[in-house]
Amino acid sequence: MGYVAAGYGITIGTLAAYAAWLLVRGRRAGGR
Amino acid sequence: MRKGTSSALTLSLGFAAVVALSATVVLGLTLPKTFEQEEYSRLIAVHPGVAWAAYIAFGVTAVASALWLLPRTRSRTWDLVAGASAEIGVVFTALMLVTGSIWGRPTWGVYWVWDARLTLSALMLMLLVGYLALRRVPADPDVRAQRSAFVALLSVLVVPVNHYAVEWWRTLHQSRSLDMTPSDDLDGEFIAAMMLGLLAFTLVYAWLLVHRVRVARLEEEREDEALAVAIDERRREAEVVG
Repeated sequence: MGYVAAGYGITIGTLAAYAAWLLVRGRRAGGR
Repeated sequence: MRKGTSSALTLSLGFAAVVALSATVVLGLTLPKTFEQEEYSRLIAVHPGVAWAAYIAFGVTAVASALWLLPRTRSRTWDLVAGASAEIGVVFTALMLVTGSIWGRPTWGVYWVWDARLTLSALMLMLLVGYLALRRVPADPDVRAQRSAFVALLSVLVVPVNHYAVEWWRTLHQSRSLDMTPSDDLDGEFIAAMMLGLLAFTLVYAWLLVHRVRVARLEEEREDEALAVAIDERRREAEVVG
């Protein structure tokens, strides 16, 4: 099960982290 | 007042992506164990979807580049879309390689072999990273957009070659999971999980793309403002000295 959990975990974790980083960057760049 | 990159479009797109991704995880993790691969075949809900999104990302970069190169459709937006999609492509291509290696270890016994599919996938990642590096080389925006567009159109050729690599060469990687013929040996629920994964990661890609393009546009606006302020300051200095 370790390999399956790693595959799902790394994928969802990476995408969530990238999405959060984009949101933060957008707020920073949009600040007046 | 802070202006971010969210809108009604991204909120609905984000909601759809989260729902589809959650359903993919639930369906994927409840797939039955198979005789050949035990529980490892559950990775079918993730790995093909991630690879598909990587292909789309590279394809969108190429199409946007072509639209920038054509005088009739040339617009700054296409250059921004091309760059944004390539960055997201790096994320999905890296995930494709990582999830593929994770699947390879228990089924093939190795994380990596230099067969055609894996080597071309690694090349895809390198081409995307190289493309992003090229975009960072300082130049006039139009010059940068033009040379990036040419490189994107040349590099995208790796995508169809990679797709057919499993048919053209002997590879450790299996051939296409779905060949749309009655002889498909994949059970219905595995096909359903894979298709749901394709939909979910496409929605995630679309959400990321809209946000990334908006971030790029906002950052450009900030740079233009900063440049205008700097020019204004130099002018005032010159007036004082004069």
